[in-house]
Amino acid sequence: MAASPPLVAPDGLSEGQSEAELMRQVAAGEIGGLENLYDRYHAMAYALALRITTETGLAEDVVQDSFLGLWRNAGRYVETKGSVRGWLLAIVRHRAIDAVRRQRAGVALGEETDETLPAALTLPDVWPEVAGRLDAEQVRGALTVLPPAQREVIELAYFDGLTQREIADRTRAPLGTVKSRMRLGLAALREQLDSHHDGRSAVVTPSSSGKKGLA
Amino acid sequence: MAMTCDRVLEVASGFVLGALDASETIAVRDHLESCPRPHPEIDSLGGVLPYLAASLEPVEPPAWLRESVIAAAQADLTARRRIAEPSALPGPALAAVPKMAAGGLGEASGAELISLAVARLARRRRVMTWTTRVAAVVAVVALAGYALVLHGDLDRAQRATQADASFNYVLTLPDTRTAVMTATDGSSASGLAALRPTGDIIVRLYGLTATTGDQVYVVWLSRDAGSPTRVGSLTVDDSGVGYLEVVNVPTSSSLGLFVCREPNGNVTQPTGPTIVSGTFSL
Repeated sequence: MAASPPLVAPDGLSEGQSEAELMRQVAAGEIGGLENLYDRYHAMAYALALRITTETGLAEDVVQDSFLGLWRNAGRYVETKGSVRGWLLAIVRHRAIDAVRRQRAGVALGEETDETLPAALTLPDVWPEVAGRLDAEQVRGALTVLPPAQREVIELAYFDGLTQREIADRTRAPLGTVKSRMRLGLAALREQLDSHHDGRSAVVTPSSSGKKGLA
Repeated sequence: MAMTCDRVLEVASGFVLGALDASETIAVRDHLESCPRPHPEIDSLGGVLPYLAASLEPVEPPAWLRESVIAAAQADLTARRRIAEPSALPGPALAAVPKMAAGGLGEASGAELISLAVARLARRRRVMTWTTRVAAVVAVVALAGYALVLHGDLDRAQRATQADASFNYVLTLPDTRTAVMTATDGSSASGLAALRPTGDIIVRLYGLTATTGDQVYVVWLSRDAGSPTRVGSLTVDDSGVGYLEVVNVPTSSSLGLFVCREPNGNVTQPTGPTIVSGTFSL
């Protein structure tokens, strides 16, 4: 009988290890990599799941399913397409919205599939800098400068998973108005957050971000 | 409406927020996959989403959730490795289970095993009421305490958990043939058997009478012609659950499986009563 490889990675993971390195460990089946990622991001993941589901039990299920989704699909992670944190939070958000919809329909939470795992849609490697410079209060501050109507449509889409059409029904605003508020609000938020970076090189500038046509 | 680069730019905010209608979402995706021009607006606006999550104050989940996540990942890893490396497992595999897991779950602490049980309960919780949750937690605590005191029970619980994980995983594979085992002696015994193309067979039985002394249950493979082939044997405790895993069994298109209770494990032909039987589906 051939000796089975160890299931648990040896100690030695440090706080300084990059996300990409941890993901390589996870993809190689090293539990230590997953433990490290969980320790880094569990509170943020749980906060997001709880905000969307508003139920602790469901939020716990979502966080567990999300980290397992990350564990099982780590090989699909592409470092250049975004941060692990962004990918994980996208998974959490997707799963949480899915869980709420399934709960309303009386359907059990499903396993993740290729269709249900979101692609990375985050800025490449901006997160370490963001984390170092912006705390939750600052991000909330950026949100509060948005006109309430713009902030509302963004939050209904992001935290409640509503489509533009559903938001129009909910807010009793014309569909075109909802689309306009969403477009202007997200672009303004991008602008606000960029200003906190003081022009750091990793930040996408207006000229390169394509925002010209969005404002 | 045909999706153009200008149109993608126009709907980018709705797309990254997942707020477009399904047909429009698909149209944008198709365009992004085929368009030779870059669409930096998608990355730029998509990069805002993590900030939205960061606007929330972090919330600490229950401490057991970490154990639950890690235990579930370990069980997943164990199942994957058992399938990926079937040749690493000797038969009969009932004895091989603790060896296979050495270095991982095989050396799991009591706390790790408890977390496995908690992980299972956590995943089932979505269909539980709060009263059953309380009852389940009480049951887990009771089970854990009992298991920690009686190491033999702990060992059995460990094997059962690993067996469940492996068996469930094998059943999800598309090329696995299955056999439903039904009682032939009027008892409540039943079970399921899985056959992999590699000749690996896993049998999970329930409702069996506990074996005593040298008594064993022997699993036999029957073919179109010839005498049955002994697959392996197992003993059963008061739980009535039996598990057997054997690798590299010569297979054919038509295979039946039956289980007899024998006075000892030295038999080369079935002599005792047949308890359950089944046929592998094609």
